[in-house]
Amino acid sequence: MRSGNPIPILRIKDTLLVTVEVDLHDRLAEAFQADMLATIERQGAAGLVIDISGLDIVDSYVARVLAETARMTSLMGAETVIVGMRPEVAATLVRMGYTMSGVRTALDVDAGLGLLSRGHGSSSA
Amino acid sequence: MDFMVALKLDERELSIRRAFVGLHDEDLQRLASLRPIAEKHTSEVIEDFYRVLLSQEETRAMFPDPATLERAKRAQYEYFMGLFAGRCDLDYAADRLRVGTTHERIGLAPKWYIGAYTRYLWFLHHRLHDEIPSPEEREAAFESVHKMVTFDMTLAIDTYIAAYLDSLDRHRAAIRELSTPVIAVHEGVLLLPLVGALDAKRSERVMEAVLLRVVEEQARVVILDIAGVPVVDTGVADHLLKTTAAVRLLGAQTVLTGISASVARTMVQLGVDVSTMHTKSRLADGIQLALSIVGKTIQEVAG
Amino acid sequence: MQPAPRTLSVERLPIRDERDVVVVRSRVRELAETLGFDPFAAAAVTTAASELARNAWCHGHGGHAVLEQISDGTRKGIRAAFCDQGPGIADMRHALEGGSTGQSLGLGLSGSRRLVDDLAIETARPRGTAVTIVKWARY
Repeated sequence: MRSGNPIPILRIKDTLLVTVEVDLHDRLAEAFQADMLATIERQGAAGLVIDISGLDIVDSYVARVLAETARMTSLMGAETVIVGMRPEVAATLVRMGYTMSGVRTALDVDAGLGLLSRGHGSSSA
Repeated sequence: MDFMVALKLDERELSIRRAFVGLHDEDLQRLASLRPIAEKHTSEVIEDFYRVLLSQEETRAMFPDPATLERAKRAQYEYFMGLFAGRCDLDYAADRLRVGTTHERIGLAPKWYIGAYTRYLWFLHHRLHDEIPSPEEREAAFESVHKMVTFDMTLAIDTYIAAYLDSLDRHRAAIRELSTPVIAVHEGVLLLPLVGALDAKRSERVMEAVLLRVVEEQARVVILDIAGVPVVDTGVADHLLKTTAAVRLLGAQTVLTGISASVARTMVQLGVDVSTMHTKSRLADGIQLALSIVGKTIQEVAG
Repeated sequence: MQPAPRTLSVERLPIRDERDVVVVRSRVRELAETLGFDPFAAAAVTTAASELARNAWCHGHGGHAVLEQISDGTRKGIRAAFCDQGPGIADMRHALEGGSTGQSLGLGLSGSRRLVDDLAIETARPRGTAVTIVKWARY
């Protein structure tokens, strides 16, 4: 884990792509969020795709961090989509009562990029 | 399957079973003292018994060769002699259960087991009559033997039942699997016709099956048709909403179809929030909507 | 009265910091895999364990987890107890129904309950709580 940049952020034109593959426990989650916001502030971005296909467990804490981050980055002008959620993760979250409504979602990176390029899509619906 | 645990056979259960049959320590002592008589006669009784088994086609088939027959007879001998070991503790019960498990596994039906044991009981009765002159002692001896045999038989029957119930559970699971068919009606569009009651367990399975298929087919729309669901109450509505929410987390939308007038009435009166899903009364309309979501449409063919 | 399920294995893990929470979570995931849990059941029990371990650390001033593989004769399962030295849950029913006595305490508990087959809480006032969950493998 490199300090200051634990989760790599890729840039595809004006869209940022970040892949979360490690367990987002507290300090890492805070760094991740700070990183995202700092990068957008510095470079600007029209879209952000957060790929969580590497997460086999998302508890309420991580769900909250992800949702919060998505809302923050959206506020800063980067339309944000969370993609790649695993079926068992989705099932577990809704059973706990977490629907992450208000956060856009797509099946995978492709679908996420497609969603952003179309300029609209399923948000809280 | 661990029958000791399945039958919840601990010290307490053991003493309950013994109390029910009336099997006390003095019975066990008496049985131990009868051991020499049993040793003298059991082989003869077993020979008699196997003559009967071999005379019936169904049971003869279980002993295809002399080696198997010999093994069975020896095992039978040990089993019957076990009645006169003078103990009835958890080890004894575990022993008996092991045998019961084998019987069930090789397909020895309860009727054979009970038949065998009852025959043995009567053979022994006659031998005890000859060997014990005093009527009181004879009565007491036979009572103790009877109690022990009953204790054994109860365990054996419970084993059969436990094994059948276990098999039933597994069949039920298989049926559950079969009853959640998810159909790919078009690229990116899944259809799940729900038929029958939706309890909590089933709903969970339905949701999981749908989610797996959404990923597999890269679906963007899931049509849930509930025309075949007899009762739509808060529980069912809650399951539908949860499934919709989960499907959305995978980036897909849900279209609920097959909503009858009465279901519509119920859902509104219950205050079910359907803002998160599309709803249609007719499946055809739902399919049309789903197709439009993935950018397709149904056209009339000219001529 | 039924006899308790048999314990096939038991281990105790400390919960002192956030890394311990991850360790506990990983261990539960491993157990689920060993016992052949399907992915949904595995995710459910692991997430519940994560919630409760985090609770023990965050609100409970640390503690430990006791993880067991259990069997009731027909099926195998996981039993996990999360014990902390915290202030205890003053209003247990409130917490279970999703109310918050702390920030995320309420949801963590009631959410976890929906993920497992059994959830029991023992609280020792003025300090200390033990939450035990059971999740069985299913066909």
